Amino acid sequence: MKHLNMAIMAGSVLIGALLAGCGSSPVLNKEPSTSAIRAAEEVGASTVPSASLYLQLAKEGLEKAKVLAAEGEKEQAASMLLRAEADGELAIALSRGEADKTEATKAIERVRQLRKDNQLPRERK
Amino acid sequence: MKSITFLVVVACAGLLVGCGTTLPPTELVEARHAYQQASAGQAAKLVPAEVHKAKEALDLAEKSFLDDPKSFQTKDLAYVANRKAKLAEALAVTVAENAVAAKAAKELEKTQADIAAKAKADLAVEQKARVEADARLATAQADLAKLAAVKEEARGLVITLSGSVLFTSGKAELSNAAQTRLNQVAEALMMTKERKLTVEGHTDSQGSSSFNQELSQRRADVVRSYIISRGYPGDLIEARGIGEDRPVAANTSAEGRANNRRVEIIVAK
Repeated sequence: MKHLNMAIMAGSVLIGALLAGCGSSPVLNKEPSTSAIRAAEEVGASTVPSASLYLQLAKEGLEKAKVLAAEGEKEQAASMLLRAEADGELAIALSRGEADKTEATKAIERVRQLRKDNQLPRERK
Repeated sequence: MKSITFLVVVACAGLLVGCGTTLPPTELVEARHAYQQASAGQAAKLVPAEVHKAKEALDLAEKSFLDDPKSFQTKDLAYVANRKAKLAEALAVTVAENAVAAKAAKELEKTQADIAAKAKADLAVEQKARVEADARLATAQADLAKLAAVKEEARGLVITLSGSVLFTSGKAELSNAAQTRLNQVAEALMMTKERKLTVEGHTDSQGSSSFNQELSQRRADVVRSYIISRGYPGDLIEARGIGEDRPVAANTSAEGRANNRRVEIIVAK
């Protein structure tokens, strides 16, 4: 029984070591950055001046990460992917902000026009 | 012992000076600035959690700078911190704009309610005015019926004044009796002075058609002028000479011709 416990422990240590070995050379996770870029494109970041720059930087960051990964610079590549993801997220937020701003302006204009058309006094701020 | 302490102090100072000379990378300088802006602006109030995330990211970059000032990690962490600070500001803009849109939606709702209330009030005023106008017209109609023949037709209320009462034969001048009669008619018409009037002069078929046409126009003009002189708005009265073209009776008898010599005042509906 004692021997069996020893064998199980040894096996566990071996599997743990193998897993740790895999962890030291992780597969590059591009998903968060590619998702952010895709989402930014979907919300129209390329057509929003303030957001298009960050979308472009995100794309460039992703490409640089790929190159670094191909050169074996996994850590630098992973770090570069963080940049790309951050740029992508910023592009999304700026695009949505612009859309919200446009909507808000339209809503205000609708009220103003409606009051004017119906000869109502302007709302006090 | 004193010299050892001195050496330690000098060594520490040297180390500090050494550290002090390592300038932070541009990414970190920009990240600090971006965070400062975000934490001082509306983001701190509207999206504090996002500002906090930016602070955490900046802290990581600062730590990395202390550990390894020139490493790519320091630069990348600072870059990410910079973006997180900007993200906080962008999200604050979104929150602020959403608040503006929500306020506008409320105003839209209120405006629509105001419009409905105004329409209701306008309708009530209009209905009241209409009822009053109808009452005035009824009174005027009753008064006019005592003075002249009054008839409801498709073109409006037609008041017929006998030509022989108003004018001497072949003339277009009002007699004193005619003026008295027209004063009474004008007085009744003043009750409806927002309505358009048409004064039509008609003759019998005696004499030439062109003479009758011209005479009927002059008579219509005289009656129009007289009603205006009594206070009716001039821009609401039109005068037309119809001549002998629209008889109401046969011109073969004296009675028929008398009926055809007339002035009609049409009060528009």
